[in-house]
Amino acid sequence: MTDNQPVISCRNAWKIFGDDPELFYKNITADMSFEDMRQKGYIAGVRDVSVDVAKGEMLVIMGLSGSGKSTLVRCLSRLHDITAGTITVDGQDLGSLSERELIELRRSKMGMVFQSFGLLPHRTVLENVAFPLEMRGQDKHERRKRALEVIELVGLSGREDYFPRELSGGQQQRVGIARSLAIEPDIWFLDEPFSALDPLIRREMQDEFLRLQEMLGKTIVFITHDFDEALRLADRIAIMKDGAVEQCATPDQIVLNPATDYVAKFTEDIDKARVVHAGAIAKPVNGTAVSGEPISSKKTIQELARLLVDDDRDLIPVTSDNGKVVGNLDRVQALDILLR
Amino acid sequence: MKTTLTRFATAAAVTAVIGMTTVGSAQAEDSGDPIIIPIHNWSSQIVMSNAVGQIFESLGRNVEYVTTDSQAVYESVRLGDVHLELEVWEGAFGKSFREALEKGGLHDAGDHDAVTREDWWYPMWTKESCPGLPSWEALNDCAELFATPETGDKGRYLDGPVDWLKHGKERAEALGLNFTVINAGSAAALWAEIGAAEKDKKPVLVFNWTPNFAEAVWPGEFVEFPEWEDGCDKDPAKGPNKDALYDCGNPAKGYLKKAAWDGMEDKWPQAYCVLTKISFTNPQIAEMAKLVDVDEQEPDEAAENWLADNEAVWKPWVEACAS
Amino acid sequence: MTAIATQLPARIDGLSNVRTATVLFCVAIALAFLKPVLPEWLVRLPDWMILPWAQWLQALFDFVREDLGLIYVTRTITAGLEFVLDATANIMYGKHRWPYLGPISWACVAGVSAILGYWLGGRRLALLAGGTWVWTAVIGQWDLAMQTMSVIVVAAPIAVAIGVGLGILAWRNRTIEKALRPVLAVLQTLPFFTYLLPAVIFFKVGPTAAAVATIIFAIPPMILMTTLGLKKVPPDVVEAGQMSGSTRWQMLRHVYLPAARTEILVGVNQVIMLCLAMVVLTAFIGMPGLGAKLLAMMGSFKLGRSFEIGVTIVLIAVMLDRLSKAWIVKQPVHFEKGTPWWQRHFFLLAGIAVFLLLALLAWIVPYFHEVGRRQDLSMGREIDDVIKWVLDVDWIQATTEWLRWFLNTKVLIPFRDSMLWLPTPSVIVLFAAVAYYVGGLRSALVIAAFFGIVALSGWWDRSMITLYTVISAVVLATLLGIPLAIFASRSEKWSGRILLACDTAQTFPSFIYLIPAIMLFGVNDVAVIFSILIFAMVPLTRYTIEGLRGVPVELTEAADMAGSTRKQKLWHVQLPLALPTMAVGFNQAIMFAFFMVIIAAFIGTQDLGQELQRTLAGNELGKNFVLGICVSVMALAFDHVIMRWVAGRKAALGLD
Repeated sequence: MTDNQPVISCRNAWKIFGDDPELFYKNITADMSFEDMRQKGYIAGVRDVSVDVAKGEMLVIMGLSGSGKSTLVRCLSRLHDITAGTITVDGQDLGSLSERELIELRRSKMGMVFQSFGLLPHRTVLENVAFPLEMRGQDKHERRKRALEVIELVGLSGREDYFPRELSGGQQQRVGIARSLAIEPDIWFLDEPFSALDPLIRREMQDEFLRLQEMLGKTIVFITHDFDEALRLADRIAIMKDGAVEQCATPDQIVLNPATDYVAKFTEDIDKARVVHAGAIAKPVNGTAVSGEPISSKKTIQELARLLVDDDRDLIPVTSDNGKVVGNLDRVQALDILLR
Repeated sequence: MKTTLTRFATAAAVTAVIGMTTVGSAQAEDSGDPIIIPIHNWSSQIVMSNAVGQIFESLGRNVEYVTTDSQAVYESVRLGDVHLELEVWEGAFGKSFREALEKGGLHDAGDHDAVTREDWWYPMWTKESCPGLPSWEALNDCAELFATPETGDKGRYLDGPVDWLKHGKERAEALGLNFTVINAGSAAALWAEIGAAEKDKKPVLVFNWTPNFAEAVWPGEFVEFPEWEDGCDKDPAKGPNKDALYDCGNPAKGYLKKAAWDGMEDKWPQAYCVLTKISFTNPQIAEMAKLVDVDEQEPDEAAENWLADNEAVWKPWVEACAS
Repeated sequence: MTAIATQLPARIDGLSNVRTATVLFCVAIALAFLKPVLPEWLVRLPDWMILPWAQWLQALFDFVREDLGLIYVTRTITAGLEFVLDATANIMYGKHRWPYLGPISWACVAGVSAILGYWLGGRRLALLAGGTWVWTAVIGQWDLAMQTMSVIVVAAPIAVAIGVGLGILAWRNRTIEKALRPVLAVLQTLPFFTYLLPAVIFFKVGPTAAAVATIIFAIPPMILMTTLGLKKVPPDVVEAGQMSGSTRWQMLRHVYLPAARTEILVGVNQVIMLCLAMVVLTAFIGMPGLGAKLLAMMGSFKLGRSFEIGVTIVLIAVMLDRLSKAWIVKQPVHFEKGTPWWQRHFFLLAGIAVFLLLALLAWIVPYFHEVGRRQDLSMGREIDDVIKWVLDVDWIQATTEWLRWFLNTKVLIPFRDSMLWLPTPSVIVLFAAVAYYVGGLRSALVIAAFFGIVALSGWWDRSMITLYTVISAVVLATLLGIPLAIFASRSEKWSGRILLACDTAQTFPSFIYLIPAIMLFGVNDVAVIFSILIFAMVPLTRYTIEGLRGVPVELTEAADMAGSTRKQKLWHVQLPLALPTMAVGFNQAIMFAFFMVIIAAFIGTQDLGQELQRTLAGNELGKNFVLGICVSVMALAFDHVIMRWVAGRKAALGLD
């Protein structure tokens, strides 16, 4: 039972900026648009958002700048207090925590990586990474040992004594990542961690990040404005606009069935074949014949391209990791996606 | 030679203890606390303060000097922050002194032998172009000699700073002098004015006083005004102009006092006794000023030299108070 | 769409501002022309309206001092402060107090300073730091300099600590910030004579009062810089700290303060400079050392020695300025793994070694411990002669004679007389009109209130003389300073030279040029304005150079490519963009002028400064304070209008 309970659960959360948000919230009507609120001097950073993040899942929140994605992640970590709604973390109501409890929660369970790194300029790499450990009062020796471990993990061994300004952007973000991992958090927030980096480095860091995630299996909320990045990394994607979540679904679903025009506009130029997996479009077997060599549900259509063209079956069986057949792939439908 | 090295080598605590005990045991009668002597910004006072301080030190007292403003100092003596003042000039500081006296906390510790004079003055070269001087009646005839662009055809007299509370303006009016009175802001401003006039021997009329160093640098004379009568500053009937105040010259023999904090007598009875006996004369004060102003000695050095040369003067003061 | 919507009302606003300002201006002119027929009470406030502020304040002051017992509190603080000051005095010049260690040999101080200079900024700074102390010792001012420094080394850290503390409070709490702002504004503009008396009464004449006056004078920029620095800490860094689970105290100690390091150090630099600026002025209330000696030297007309002391003060100031600036930009550098211990702490060890070595040397050769009497290289007399000779050169004298005549009779006296002739309401309305034009109704009301206070204080005429002096000096400073700055800004070399001259002029004790000013022009307003002028030109020139050199290169390049001549480029590109920065300099020039005009009372003036000087004789605190406030509000009025204009201009240009 507990395994199914989401790690983070956000219900009808609102975050309004302005002179008196509480009062303003009371007078909000259902048909009031983002623009209406702005005319009155209030900005709805987060508007009636409900999302869950399951244990070990990577939720990517995607949106253009100003869409409220950074605000949302700050609500989830309670860097901002929400105006209305509830957010629970491991079943605890985040809003009801005292300052002490909140600090305890952050010291034991949460890690966060920031867009412009947020490194303390006067501390060395080692001291930066050990900072959260120092804050929770770990002794010097232990803190050094743990920090060196994480530094090695992110591939910065040998640079412990450097100061942030002596490092490149990519290296600085590695320090940020190492710092956020130092306390071995269960929940990992990443706020556009690679946006400030050059495209080449960004790609490299994404690979690195996937490697880490495979190893660590954390519950992750990842913010980005880069749709490709989102597709590459996400288990599920939440697309935000004007503070509200437009659609929250797996990449396949978003690409195949955009919920709104706004989402559709994003997916327009995407090469769907690279996103959609065989599993996502497999139809239930329902008594149809299952014949021949099956394909893995984890493969994207593009990866299967040669097979799809060469094979002459109409329906190709799809199997999950454990070899069980989960359905049949309609070859024509798959080819349509590939050749669109 | 006690130098840093040796001092640092010695443990601080040990030195401190020794220091304390020597200070503590030296005098049973007078307090070991330092006597604080104020010094101002003119040489005679600085040297005199150093000389008196060194006399106190020869008695085993601790002495410290502190620089202060010469008007605000009376408030400090009153509060016991400094303990005496060696030069209370009647003209310049009489008012501050009297006001502090009224509030209580300090008292008159006797006069010096020296008399002070503060009045309108001119350097000698001025006399060449205005031979009627030093009589004040000659001033109107020479008024235009002293004229400047900003005073038009009136003469210009540079009075002392306002906080010295001179009454130049009133006197010029009372005596019908065709002069504009301008206040300098400081003693230094007066010297600068004389200094600037020196090369071309321009006639100037400025406020000045004696004893000070200027006599040695620029010989000159005071203007002879109608002689001071008591009450000239309060009763219009006094002086030649029956309807005006300040129609006399300043007293040609003003006092030069010492002032002491009320608590001094109890705390340092012997030093206080010496203070009351101290009395310098005009030539002695001029000599002290000269050591610094002309001979370029440092004040403490000048005081040392002066004391060495004038034992006959100051030894009796000390002996009179030997208990 | 929205852009237009927000711009439109502003323009209409601007138009009505101009209209109202013009109306007000006409009213002011009308009031002036109608003076002969105006009723008496409209020309100057009638006596019954001028309340006995001085007596009331005096009574309040006596009440606070005696009945509330404030003096006992301050005297307790004084005792603690005195203990610390005695300790530094012992170490630095051997005053007979605990810890009975000093004095340190001058060679040791010079040596260690040189090492510090080298660590912070290489060979040049080492030379400056060591050289300054060598000069001080060799010229025979070592003891004096140490007496001065013994107070500054206590006052500056206290000012920094209090400033940082208040800065943090102001940053945490908007109410405190709002309450603090006017207090700081008044503190920064209050004439020096006003806190001289309270300092003496509450904190005992001597180094303690001097230290307190210095601290109060030096605190404001520290508070402002601390608040600014804390506000500027990047949100990412703050959030990173929070997400690391820092408590509030940990946030402040480990995140905010270190991240605001640069601004805080800039504040420290300003504190040091202000402390040094007070060296001479505080000598009136017991600051020992260089300032006191300077006053004594000036009292006996020794220009050469005064000049030497001035040079020492400038050298020390410039040295401390450069060292602290080097410290601001100094970034930590890592050592490679396996660097031996002695290499990591090379400079510390070198410092200790040099100290011990020189202490030994000083022990063997007394000259290096203390330069004895008659061993110094003072050239007081020779400099005296040079100064007198220069002032005596015929053409210089002829020029100054002419200037004295021309400025006095053709410019200054008519200007002063017209200021005094104008009816009070006319002046108030005139300034309000300017304020309305710049900042609208609110500014106009503020300015009217400020000048209203001056009128109600009963010191209107003297205030007008102060104002006339300030305006004349600043106008002249503008006429001289801006062309100089425009010339200097054309080349790197000249900018450097002129900026160094500015630093020197700013820290050179103003007292020293009072004397040459008098010798050149005599005791009159020309000398007064000349001495203010030197001081006021400094910020004007500096900010103009910085403004002009700060114009983005793309813009000047664009102008070049558009084929503009040098003059066109200056008028159409550089000056308009530099104007907001220049205006800040102009504002500072006015503030400096208000500061200096009071000091100029030492030359001889007929304004508020003279009256302030008079209050010292009678210990009239109430009156003293009323006069101080008059100066302060006039300065604040200018500050308000100019800074409003700068803010508007910057917004229009899209700067900041």
